[in-house]
Amino acid sequence: MRAALTVFNKIGFLRENKTAFTGFVILSFFIFIATFAPFITPYDPWKHGKPFFPPSWEHLLGTNDVGQDIFSELIHSTKISLFVGFFAAFVSMVVGTLIGLISGYSRGKLDEIMMGFTDVFLLIPGLPLMIVLAAYLSPSIWNIIFVIGILWWTTTARVVRSRVLQVREMAFVETCRALGASDMYILFRHVLPNTLHVIFAKFVLTVAGAMLAEASLSFLGLGDPMQKSWGTMLHYAFSRGGFINNMWWWYLPPGICIALSVLGFVLLGYALEKQQRFLS
Amino acid sequence: MVKVAIQYITRKFCRYILSFFIIITLNFFIPRLMPGDPFINILGEEFYYADPELVEGLKAKYGLNKPLHEQYIAYLINLAHCNWGYSFHYMQPVFDVIALRLKWTLLLLMPSIVLGTIIGMIAGSIAGWRNKSKLDIGVTSTFLLIYSMPHYWLAMLFVLIFAFHLNLFPLGGICSGESEGLEGLIDILWHMGLPVLVLTLFNASYKHLIMRNSVVQVLEEDFIVTARAKGLKDRAILFKHVLKNALLPLVTIVALDFGFMVSGTLLVEIVFSWNGMGTLIYDAVIARDYPILQGCFLITAVCVLVANFLADIGYAILDPRVRGER
Repeated sequence: MRAALTVFNKIGFLRENKTAFTGFVILSFFIFIATFAPFITPYDPWKHGKPFFPPSWEHLLGTNDVGQDIFSELIHSTKISLFVGFFAAFVSMVVGTLIGLISGYSRGKLDEIMMGFTDVFLLIPGLPLMIVLAAYLSPSIWNIIFVIGILWWTTTARVVRSRVLQVREMAFVETCRALGASDMYILFRHVLPNTLHVIFAKFVLTVAGAMLAEASLSFLGLGDPMQKSWGTMLHYAFSRGGFINNMWWWYLPPGICIALSVLGFVLLGYALEKQQRFLS
Repeated sequence: MVKVAIQYITRKFCRYILSFFIIITLNFFIPRLMPGDPFINILGEEFYYADPELVEGLKAKYGLNKPLHEQYIAYLINLAHCNWGYSFHYMQPVFDVIALRLKWTLLLLMPSIVLGTIIGMIAGSIAGWRNKSKLDIGVTSTFLLIYSMPHYWLAMLFVLIFAFHLNLFPLGGICSGESEGLEGLIDILWHMGLPVLVLTLFNASYKHLIMRNSVVQVLEEDFIVTARAKGLKDRAILFKHVLKNALLPLVTIVALDFGFMVSGTLLVEIVFSWNGMGTLIYDAVIARDYPILQGCFLITAVCVLVANFLADIGYAILDPRVRGER
């Protein structure tokens, strides 16, 4: 229970832990930008204008091949990149948690089958399968979220399962069972709350992985053409001559944004995982 | 003693065969269950412009007009005979196209994994041993930052710095052409330099983080305290006790990481226009050449399975508990 409480007691944790604090500051910065994007962007990121402008006071990062302001694109893309990362991680968290919970709580044959299944999924090379699936589906952010989500749950399932194996042996669970509580009740009222901190830490790390996966898929041209993300910006910068013509102001900024925001999630996630080892 | 090891390996082998079947089955059902015309999904978008006789021949060969279970059996038989489908984009069987490209991808992949693992192991051990020192913080945060970058973006950055501005390496490609023999080999090595450097850095960053964690954890164990109490020298503790225990998990990590490295290599290849599977996939995505994409998925899956099986054998040789000695 003490461990579960600390998840909601973030402020003290952030004050003590430098790594977590750095991650938190980076993420707050990007979430702030994503929220207030329409007020920060100097231009409409979809409006066409004069193409291939180098950086100037008028266009801080120049313009792209169809004359869209790159700085505005960059700010605007923050929203979609974070959104896809969060939602894909959410999908994989739900799948992973359910599989881990059921597997760890039931043990026996069902556990063996489910974990064997998880191991097979763990072996499947992620990106090639995501490419195959994304190529068949129509390009939209929901399909990207779906494709990443259904492939990224394996590690969550394993971590949740091993925590559930611990929790189910605890005295209060035994007490509940003796009092005649149903499995469902025990699972969702007692086991799940005591697993939340594990799930949360894994979720934060999964967002990082999902954002990188989105960037890779979009770079290959499988992203949503109706939405702007950092990955699709890199795709256009690469395929429409920004890279060959050495227009660094076009392809460096989106990469820096991806690296920093992923770093933010990784730092926060590692700090959370380390703290758990301390508590349990 | 040997019996235990053989049992262990047979059990693992059966698992991999099962995994292989699941992957094949997945590969069979994906194009048939996805939205859209299944013929397009199986034959690729360009089959419309192809010779109708060829198309009919292929339909008969893969049993596409038959019920699903017969298609599945035909699919298995064809797989075993290296008939992985036909690419209308290249006007060649998929297997031939991929076989030609695979070796170039492996040429980038293998050195990067070996170098990356060595560098990551050494850096990780030092950082873990000198936990929280300035050196540890410096090296670990650098590797964390690299770990957070998209592979292909770091490749673009390196091309900008080392090829474009410093002119140390070529901008891309596999070789400059003409030269043969030793000169040609050196030429290829020169072209390999930058992509291998990028991939090595990524691999090292991941292995570093694992190794560092592992060493830090072993350092907290009771037997290390005992070793110190016995008055053992630092170096003896590091090599005899810490590394021996921290290295074993790394064998499994190297294998599991293999799939991740393949993905990274595919993306880095595109930036360097390296003529391997990555550029093949990139072109196949644009041409919606589905047979190629599925073939690439299958071949990478097989590579990952083989790598993991080899790692399991290695593990059985290294770990005395599996070997059956006590």
